Amino acid sequence: MSTATDSTRKSMPSALTFERHAKCSTTKARASTLQLPHGSVPLPIFMPVATQASLKGLTYDQLRDTGCMLCLNNTYHLGLKPGQEVLDAVGGSHKLQGWDRNLLTDSGGFQMVSLLKLATVTEEGVRFLSPHDGSPMLLTPEHSISLQNSIGSDIIMQLDDVIATTSPDHARIKEAMERSIRWLDRCIDEHKYPERQNLFCIIQGGLDLELRKQCCEEMVARDTPGIAIGGLSGGEAKEEFCRVVHTCTNNLPETKPRYVMGVGYPEDIVVAVALGADMFDCVWPTRTARFGQAIVTSGTMNLRNKCFADDFTPIEEGCTCTTCRPVDQGGLGVTKAYMHHVTAKETVGAHLLSIHNVHFMLNLMGNLRQAIIEDRYPAFIREFFSNIYEGDKSKYPKWAVGALRGVGMDLLSD
Amino acid sequence: MNPESSQAPEMTFSVLGSAAPVLAPRVGKLAIPGRKAISTPHYLPVTSRGVVPHISNDNVRNETSINSFYVGLEDFIEKSHKSPVYRIPAEENESRLRKFMCAPADIPLIMSPRRFPPIPCPPVNTETSIAISTCDGFRQLSADHYLDAIHKLTPDIIVGLADMVLGRQPGNKRRGKMVDRTHAYTRDALERLYGAAVAEDKKCKAAYFAPILPLDNTQQSLYLDDLETEFRDHLSGLALYESASLSFIPESLGALPRLLIDDPSGPHDVLREVSLGADLMTLPFIGNSSDAGIAFDFTFPAPPQEEGEPPLALGMDMWEAQYARDVSALREGCECYACRKHHRAYLNHLLNAKEMTAWALLQMHNFHVMDRFFQGVQASIQAGTFERDVDAFNRVYALTLPERTGPGPRLRGYQLPAAGPNEPRRTTRVYGRLEDALQKFQDSQSSIATPDTDAEGLEKHGFAEKI
Repeated sequence: MSTATDSTRKSMPSALTFERHAKCSTTKARASTLQLPHGSVPLPIFMPVATQASLKGLTYDQLRDTGCMLCLNNTYHLGLKPGQEVLDAVGGSHKLQGWDRNLLTDSGGFQMVSLLKLATVTEEGVRFLSPHDGSPMLLTPEHSISLQNSIGSDIIMQLDDVIATTSPDHARIKEAMERSIRWLDRCIDEHKYPERQNLFCIIQGGLDLELRKQCCEEMVARDTPGIAIGGLSGGEAKEEFCRVVHTCTNNLPETKPRYVMGVGYPEDIVVAVALGADMFDCVWPTRTARFGQAIVTSGTMNLRNKCFADDFTPIEEGCTCTTCRPVDQGGLGVTKAYMHHVTAKETVGAHLLSIHNVHFMLNLMGNLRQAIIEDRYPAFIREFFSNIYEGDKSKYPKWAVGALRGVGMDLLSD
Repeated sequence: MNPESSQAPEMTFSVLGSAAPVLAPRVGKLAIPGRKAISTPHYLPVTSRGVVPHISNDNVRNETSINSFYVGLEDFIEKSHKSPVYRIPAEENESRLRKFMCAPADIPLIMSPRRFPPIPCPPVNTETSIAISTCDGFRQLSADHYLDAIHKLTPDIIVGLADMVLGRQPGNKRRGKMVDRTHAYTRDALERLYGAAVAEDKKCKAAYFAPILPLDNTQQSLYLDDLETEFRDHLSGLALYESASLSFIPESLGALPRLLIDDPSGPHDVLREVSLGADLMTLPFIGNSSDAGIAFDFTFPAPPQEEGEPPLALGMDMWEAQYARDVSALREGCECYACRKHHRAYLNHLLNAKEMTAWALLQMHNFHVMDRFFQGVQASIQAGTFERDVDAFNRVYALTLPERTGPGPRLRGYQLPAAGPNEPRRTTRVYGRLEDALQKFQDSQSSIATPDTDAEGLEKHGFAEKI
């Protein structure tokens, strides 16, 4: 870690405290609490994605009921609608959406590159053609930070040079990594409210572990309040994903929260936590709910399937979400048959299933955290995989077995 | 109510005060043991597949005063008798419909053969069945099936089967047939649900609302006579399909609650229907307004207004750009969930972003405004100032709700009549638009936000700069 140059950089105040409670004695999993300007967040955590300042039909009280302390907004989307001017006039995104807990925003770079054709990245920023009239535009690190300052999210992300991890062009990956470091410096310079918004850096470097190490070293030296591992969940093999997370966490300080962006499925999260990651986000639980897919202990279940038409049991027996909880316990006592009846037909179907799916993810994280605190995380992981694969170890994904072996745990032993 | 009818339905309807039995506004209370009482006049919230559109069940329970559900059986019918609603295990005295819908125990369920508004069906009604529209196509609902459904589902109130002609004016001959068939359906239903031949413990507990057809009274006089005499003891209410029918309800049926299954255009129409003696009514304009992005902004009685002032708008079109940075409540002083928790700028943003939460919040607001409206109506009738208050309301408020300007949620086949040949697509295509020429269009229509402004607009938004 280079500390020699620290004095020449703008000092980086932090608007968070990160308190570590427990560390798994086998794996690298850790349980901690992240104190942010809008309340404390137990880590490891899953963050639901309220892309456009709304969680797909749910009210913020419904989101609060799932136990959510921190959710996402997307800078790219809010920059377009309602736009910076409105955000400034309204007083930021918390006020816009009536959410008094924490918000995290991404930089907008990922959407820029993945949603827009003809985006090119230069040293200045991302050049793209306005989709409306085709005139050339430029999104710079300064724009992104300024917009996130207007949004007022508790955690903001640097603009990074995003390229597909699967890109075969090594020189380009190296360039992107180095550029992301330079852009981080520009973001730090531009950041107006470090005392109330926490800027996270984003580790890049593709699947090249050497590049990742270099990037970690350089970015850790910038001393941002938190650290994200970026450029993943872009179609790379899971083995590669695990290797990158493992390498990065080995090169990151224990004293800062680590966020793996755009991940993911329950299996990915459970393994990534063992590799030492703390924060995750994914649109999957709410998106899949709109298609009638319920997340349950045994995996997923498509409630549009005819076989659920007269299944009068809850989505998941024993689930404590508002949707599943029996009426005499203050819930709605919703059955699979009723979900089958309304799902993908009425918006309420999506609302009810989103409540369940988000609750499932948060509940999973809560149980997982408790297991770490009680130092029985390996047993938790074993039970988790056993539930999904009905105890059939031959079906366990190889990438998970391999990744866990790398942190000293044999998933296949009893 | 009529003491003779005490053995049949348990529902009671008591009219407060001494209003004339017909053609006058009146205040009443409809009570069903174990359920919330409904103070009338009031609306019945129309449901779609068992839900009040956009308001999830927990929000209905916690954040609204919704106190009844108007349910169309056709929403629950799949392939004739195989429908799951009939197979849900239920205790004795437990309504299968209620259990299937996961509806709270204290909310009265009003079941009609068809949802409201119904989709006109190409197949025709027959002597023993009516055509219905289910989520997997048009079918016939036989009178037998409907009676069987009543037994199995045990709703609180049943709207009787009627031979209706939808979407066109029936000819003279067809009108005669409507009356004959409806007469026969009603006779058969009452006999088999409540008749002397039915064992005491098998008698139907639900309250029966007999249909009155949207025709002249002369055309259905024989049927009306029977309602007054032979059928009277088994009737708990009347279901009317147009407000004109209110004018020929015989005095001897005046004590029965009148459910008007109609589609009034707004609060002015509602007041007219109330003044003619409607007790319960369906108001699809509530949901339609929410879908259109309109937030109601009216009270009854109307606020005082100076002579010569322009009429007040009945609602705000939340799509309008003037609300983009307006952080005031939708309606000042409103206590609904949306107004307590959010502001106009958020609603405007949600509509622009096509987020489902927009419709959920607008529905909660609009239902709340209607709840207050009917409370005002009831108080005004009781105070004897109704006529004057209606006049004032008509003077103070614009006559129609604001025009719809923005697109609403995607409508499903069971919510909208099928498009005929040569009619434009009612939804934009989602798949198969791979051609580059269409790409731009897709970008502008996609639910993934893409800039819908030009470069200058983007720059103004602070999103990026022009180079």
